Amino acid sequence: MASNHTTTEESNKRHRVEGPKKHVIAFIFSLVLTLIAFAAVIGGEINKDFIYIILIGTAVLQVFVQMAFWMHMKDRGHQYAIIGILGGVVVVITMVVMAEYWVWW
Amino acid sequence: MSAHSHVDGHLPHEPEKATLEGRNKILGFWLFLGGETVLFGTLFSVYLALRDQVLDGKPAHELFSLPLTALATLLLLTSSLTSVFAVHALHKLDNKALIKWLVVTVLLGIAFLILEIYEFYHYVHEGHGFTTSAFSSSFYTLVGFHGAHVAFGIVWISMIIRQLSKKGLTVVTAPKVYVAGMYWHFIDVVWVFIFTVVYLMGKVV
Repeated sequence: MASNHTTTEESNKRHRVEGPKKHVIAFIFSLVLTLIAFAAVIGGEINKDFIYIILIGTAVLQVFVQMAFWMHMKDRGHQYAIIGILGGVVVVITMVVMAEYWVWW
Repeated sequence: MSAHSHVDGHLPHEPEKATLEGRNKILGFWLFLGGETVLFGTLFSVYLALRDQVLDGKPAHELFSLPLTALATLLLLTSSLTSVFAVHALHKLDNKALIKWLVVTVLLGIAFLILEIYEFYHYVHEGHGFTTSAFSSSFYTLVGFHGAHVAFGIVWISMIIRQLSKKGLTVVTAPKVYVAGMYWHFIDVVWVFIFTVVYLMGKVV
């Protein structure tokens, strides 16, 4: 019991020490991805499809970073969270593909 | 005062997960966020299908202003970080810091909302009303739904701040803070897609 207790205390401590730093890094990463997206649009002289790929890529990456670090989805015991969100994402992708490719055909 | 003993620094390591009720709340909230994903996904798909149907109104690239969007993004992104700091204070069982970070989060949310109200007001004066075109209707529905979520979050977190200052940090109030933090991150995540799909893609001609 005693050893068990110290392990939680230690992991507790580690969480406290690493916690905010990790989140600030996630914040800076999000800012950089946002800057890249804005720069791609303002820069403007590149191919339109290429800009779209950059935009979708940076957005998906940023959401992935925020969900993993800020919403703790990378931590243990979040299987149901992943199932819940992924279930929603599957419906969303279906809806978006339908709207983009079926509606005006 | 035995009922209050856990308030005096004897709270468990993760007080939001200390009770079954707290754990169930968090699980239920994840499923709710899955449903919210579907809600916003359908609004996004409608917007994507209708965004070029501008009729006599201005097209997206003449309407949107990127500096305004950049400022709104910065405000909401920063508020997401401050709500992470709030949950961090929760794990340190530091009620004072927790309340402080939640107040900062709410203030940033209010600033974001004021910016959005100004933006909509400006668009309406430019002749871009809700019924102007299919583009304007789907734009206001999508962005307005997000704004309504921000407004709801501001009211909700303000009420949690009041409860925290009255009752302190307990195994009852901790899950509320944690779940509100998840909600706020989700609102930020939805905004990432809004500024990308609506504003930035709208500016690509």
